[in-house]
Amino acid sequence: MSELLRIQHLSKIFGRNRVLEDFDLAVESGRVYGLLGRNGEGKTTLARILMGVIPADGGEVSYKGRRISFGDSAYKREFGYVPEDPFFYEDMTVRGLLDFNARFYPRWDRKRAASDLERFALDPRSRVGTLSRGMKLKLGLAVALAAAPEFLILDDPTSGLDVPTRQDFLRDIIRELAASGTTILFATHMVHELERIVERLLVLHGGRLIVDEDFEAVKARYQASLEDIFVSLVADKA
Amino acid sequence: MFTALYLKEWKEKALIFFFELGILVLLVLAQFFLREKKDIQEWLIYAVLILFYPFAALILGAAGFEAEYRQGAWAYLFSRPVRKSTVWFAKFAALLSMLAALWLVFVVLWIALPGIRELAGGARVLLRFSVESEFPWWSMLQSGFLLTVAFSLSLLHERQFNILFLALGVGFFLPAASWAVMNSWPGGFMAWLSPERVLPTFLICQVLIALAFAAASILTLARSDFSQPRKLTLGFVRWFAPLLLLALAGTAAWAILTPVSGERYLYHFALSQGDAYYKTHHGVFKYSAAADRVQWLAKGKGLGFGWAMDSSGGKIAYTAYDIKSKKDIEEELWVVNADGSGRKRIFGRGVRENGWPQDASIMDLLISPDGTKIAILSSSYRDKPKARRSSPLWLADTDGTRLESLPDDPVLFGDGRMFCWVRLVAWVQAGKSLLLEKRSSPSPSTFNLWLYDVGGRTGRMLLDDAVTASWLSPVSPDGELLAIKHQQAPKGPWKLAMLNFKTLATTDITASTAEAQGQVSSQISWDPKGARIAYVSRRKQTDGPDVYSLVVNSLAGQKTLAEKVMTKSEAAAQLYSPSWTAGGAGLVVLDREADSLRIFGPDFIEIDRIALPTRLATPYGLTIVGDQALIQDDATSSLWCCDLKKKTWKRLY
Repeated sequence: MSELLRIQHLSKIFGRNRVLEDFDLAVESGRVYGLLGRNGEGKTTLARILMGVIPADGGEVSYKGRRISFGDSAYKREFGYVPEDPFFYEDMTVRGLLDFNARFYPRWDRKRAASDLERFALDPRSRVGTLSRGMKLKLGLAVALAAAPEFLILDDPTSGLDVPTRQDFLRDIIRELAASGTTILFATHMVHELERIVERLLVLHGGRLIVDEDFEAVKARYQASLEDIFVSLVADKA
Repeated sequence: MFTALYLKEWKEKALIFFFELGILVLLVLAQFFLREKKDIQEWLIYAVLILFYPFAALILGAAGFEAEYRQGAWAYLFSRPVRKSTVWFAKFAALLSMLAALWLVFVVLWIALPGIRELAGGARVLLRFSVESEFPWWSMLQSGFLLTVAFSLSLLHERQFNILFLALGVGFFLPAASWAVMNSWPGGFMAWLSPERVLPTFLICQVLIALAFAAASILTLARSDFSQPRKLTLGFVRWFAPLLLLALAGTAAWAILTPVSGERYLYHFALSQGDAYYKTHHGVFKYSAAADRVQWLAKGKGLGFGWAMDSSGGKIAYTAYDIKSKKDIEEELWVVNADGSGRKRIFGRGVRENGWPQDASIMDLLISPDGTKIAILSSSYRDKPKARRSSPLWLADTDGTRLESLPDDPVLFGDGRMFCWVRLVAWVQAGKSLLLEKRSSPSPSTFNLWLYDVGGRTGRMLLDDAVTASWLSPVSPDGELLAIKHQQAPKGPWKLAMLNFKTLATTDITASTAEAQGQVSSQISWDPKGARIAYVSRRKQTDGPDVYSLVVNSLAGQKTLAEKVMTKSEAAAQLYSPSWTAGGAGLVVLDREADSLRIFGPDFIEIDRIALPTRLATPYGLTIVGDQALIQDDATSSLWCCDLKKKTWKRLY
């Protein structure tokens, strides 16, 4: 498997709060990464830096061997992103949001978008502002999937989803994407959800990765559930 | 991507746009319903131009990033594969096109309805702006400027209302303050007074500041962290501060470098000992022909029109303006030595202890031949009747002391009821008397030369129906003769004569020369030794139009040395002021018909021509100093210099 993304010495400070510090990560293509961390540990910050929403204060990020900087946009055509807070343009309709996004992504899959709307029971004529948080998350997911990304960043996307959709999402969609070779970075603090899908485990604590290891190896070493492993790891470092 | 973002903005802001359009339509309809009430119609136009468009622009601009803030969608938008600069331009283009659509309504009305044109022209007068076109470009630019400012600031804050008022304050204060500073400081005289200057400077200032806002906004958007408002604002300030300084520097450069009719000026040439002296709106300058060097004798802004140099070339007197504000302008009189030393203010703000009237301006100046005294002619005789005016004639020592007024003479200076124009011509009788020229009307106009006895403080008419024959240099180089034109009978021909300063007698020098049949139609030019004069004479022809000839007369023999027909065009002839070359070896004539300098040798046969530079659009005022010919350009108030030997041109000012 080839290296898709490399992050070196990444740092980000908010006021006096050093959220990321000397953060390193190498992402190989076609794998599912599970990024665990407690609230406020920097999972969303990392996702936003990778998506070019906010600038890093230091370090560098390379995608497919090319360094990317804040302000670059071309690489994002191959990225999918489902944010933690599903804030879209609320005056748009569901179809309007999809049409708006379709112009940005050369590999936009209209059929996929239509089938996902049906799958998630989203009415194309509904205004985004009238949707519930869960429906907005589904819409965000539909947009991200229709872009046919090579690298999909999921920033705690399941917290607002109902149980059947969450099951559907975790069981079917993620596996389907993984099977098609899409690299996935799944950031969450809901540990048990990762257990069924993750291939490589990343644990973020104190601004750095304290675990970057194949999940099977971790499980074999600790002989415990992921939740217990995570708690013990974070407790050890604290 | 640009199109998608552009259309998204239009959809988002459509409600604001149509709301503003609705108000505009109501204001337009009101014009038709109030056809009989012109004054209200006029105020409605003012309301549209001064209030509606600026505020419509502010509201549109302030809503620039409203959706991203209100709906929290900025993170979503910025995570799309689109450059942030594209986001900025698409948003701005959409808002600008909305403003343009609103302006289109006015443009259509302006084209279609003459009444609107007339009323819009009224607003132009109201604002004291003078522009070639009646169309209110100022309002269009102002609204574009405010749109840019409000839009640029809208990315810093989520509350549109705050943005709107901040943009309003900054949008008006910044250009107004910088414009005022730029005008007062480097703009110099007329910057405040000249309407031609006011509007362009303000508009340039606005355009540059708008660019500073836009550039700072784009850079902030592209490089700053939107999740940290404080850092975002600091980032904007960090970009904007140097850009604002650049904008102000650009305005200053424009104010300094761009010639504006009525402000930039160049005049008052004087020749002395191989040097030329002249005055511009930057100060007093000396051009040394031998060294081919310009020396800045006296720096000064707001230089006035008064100017004098003594015949020995030792001292220069000039007027200037001390401008505190548009309503607080003081005229000053300065004296400086010809080498630039000893600059001294004779009077001005705070030094009027000798009673120089506050409301009088200086009309003319004349320094005595020995350079010790200066005669000053005030405008009071032209402005007020005798009973209410102060004395028109004043004297001062050139060291700045002993400013005193001489008794008024209503016969000389008129009683204020009819047009009367007086100028100082020369100090005569070893500095004991002043020779003055007086022209008065109504018809028939009278022309007299007067003698004012400085010691006895009385004036008397010396010659009736006589005027100086040359405006700039009627006095011979030795200072003993004055070239005059003398009319011996009413409606008779003007004869060329010489007035002797010692004897005060006149000698008619045209009776036995070719001029007996002609009429002097140009400035007289004395040769350096004072033995010959050259001028252009108009000759009547029995068959066909008059011709204009270059004439050289010898004073000693009172005979014509040369006569050469130059042109039949009166307009061309008026510029044929001949000038003597160094040592009096020949003559140079500025010929605009041939676009060249024509050079005549010792026997007054044309020996050479030097083409004028194409950039010298409207040449006039040929002056020869050493081997250099100086020519002014009336269109640009620039000064050009031609090396007569090398035949090369360069621009001195």
